[in-house]
Amino acid sequence: MSPDRSTDAPEPGSLGGPDDLDDETRTAVEAELRCLADDDFVVAERYTEWQVRGPTLEADIGIGNIAQDELGHARLWYDLLEDFGHDETDLVWEADPGDFRHATLVELPFETGDWADCVVRSYLYDHYEELRLEALRESSYPRIVDRVGKVLGEEPYHREHAENWLERLAEDAGGRRRLQEALDRLYPHALTLFEPTDQEDAIVALGIRREPLDVLREEWRAIVVPVLAGLGLEVPEGDDADLLPDARGRDGTHTDAWEPLFHEFTHTYHDLGREEAVSLMPDPDEADV
Amino acid sequence: MRWEVFRQDKKKDYHTYVGTVHAPNAELAKQYAEVQHGRRKPTNSLWIVPKDAVETVYADDPGVEFGGTTQKDYRWATAYSTDETFAEEIEASQREQEEAERDIAEADR
Repeated sequence: MSPDRSTDAPEPGSLGGPDDLDDETRTAVEAELRCLADDDFVVAERYTEWQVRGPTLEADIGIGNIAQDELGHARLWYDLLEDFGHDETDLVWEADPGDFRHATLVELPFETGDWADCVVRSYLYDHYEELRLEALRESSYPRIVDRVGKVLGEEPYHREHAENWLERLAEDAGGRRRLQEALDRLYPHALTLFEPTDQEDAIVALGIRREPLDVLREEWRAIVVPVLAGLGLEVPEGDDADLLPDARGRDGTHTDAWEPLFHEFTHTYHDLGREEAVSLMPDPDEADV
Repeated sequence: MRWEVFRQDKKKDYHTYVGTVHAPNAELAKQYAEVQHGRRKPTNSLWIVPKDAVETVYADDPGVEFGGTTQKDYRWATAYSTDETFAEEIEASQREQEEAERDIAEADR
């Protein structure tokens, strides 16, 4: 157990429903949910670009399936934000691009055909995601506890897929070079996954998440660094402060890649003159999904 | 590398051939089979077999005569003396025999 862990935080599931929260708690819960939802939504958006462009038909379907999973997870988290009076329209389709709190890792574009980037990104992201979600299993906010197990259930596939490809690409010098280039480029952005929002202290003190992000970052490093080194890759070294990119994502600042992506996925909504989001599936609370 | 995939709907069901996946190793073959063949239909298990591991016998291979060349009606229940208590089994056997004969005739055409 980490020494930073807040021991006098409220018990798991003890905060009550959305209407029971005071303003301070609600703001903290919303900040945590926004990061979870936006990460999954945007990473899925990027993965989808590989559909029909993967190295094999099987790889297309594999990454497409992972993208579908992540979109489903984003949907569960956005739905919890809707408990607080938001709707999908203002959360996503008519939001300001600066409202999004995803890490910069997930918004970066892929170079054409750079499958190694997709593999490294997924590897770094999915290990981060597991740790953050595990730290939410005993959240004091019961609506998160209800859903986190379901989300975690789909994650082992994502990690195994990334690890399998990572090993495969690392088998020869050309593959290792491509992995190294991707790692050099992506690692600083992966660190932004662990950047705090302005609600981090409240999130931990209120037991909404059981581990602070800086502790999760060290756990993550202890997992990914030896594996990457074992494959013959060099993980960028240095102080995180020096490695981190200027844009941090979690504070609403993003790389130049974000606005074009945002406009791309909201284009059709505006093009069709929509004013509300069309719902294709039953509410997660009404269906066992 | 090509892998043949067999899906079992429920426990104790037979595995049925459902198609192929292409994957460089067994681990990826399993992962791809999972999403390609086990995602939209009820699935209790999948068998994933390297194509090369599947042995094949063809009907026109030299020396192969599926079912033999001589008459073997004793294989069918209708060839035996029975009473009405076997009616259902006999009907079922009769149908099976007719279907088999039709299918063989079809295949020979």
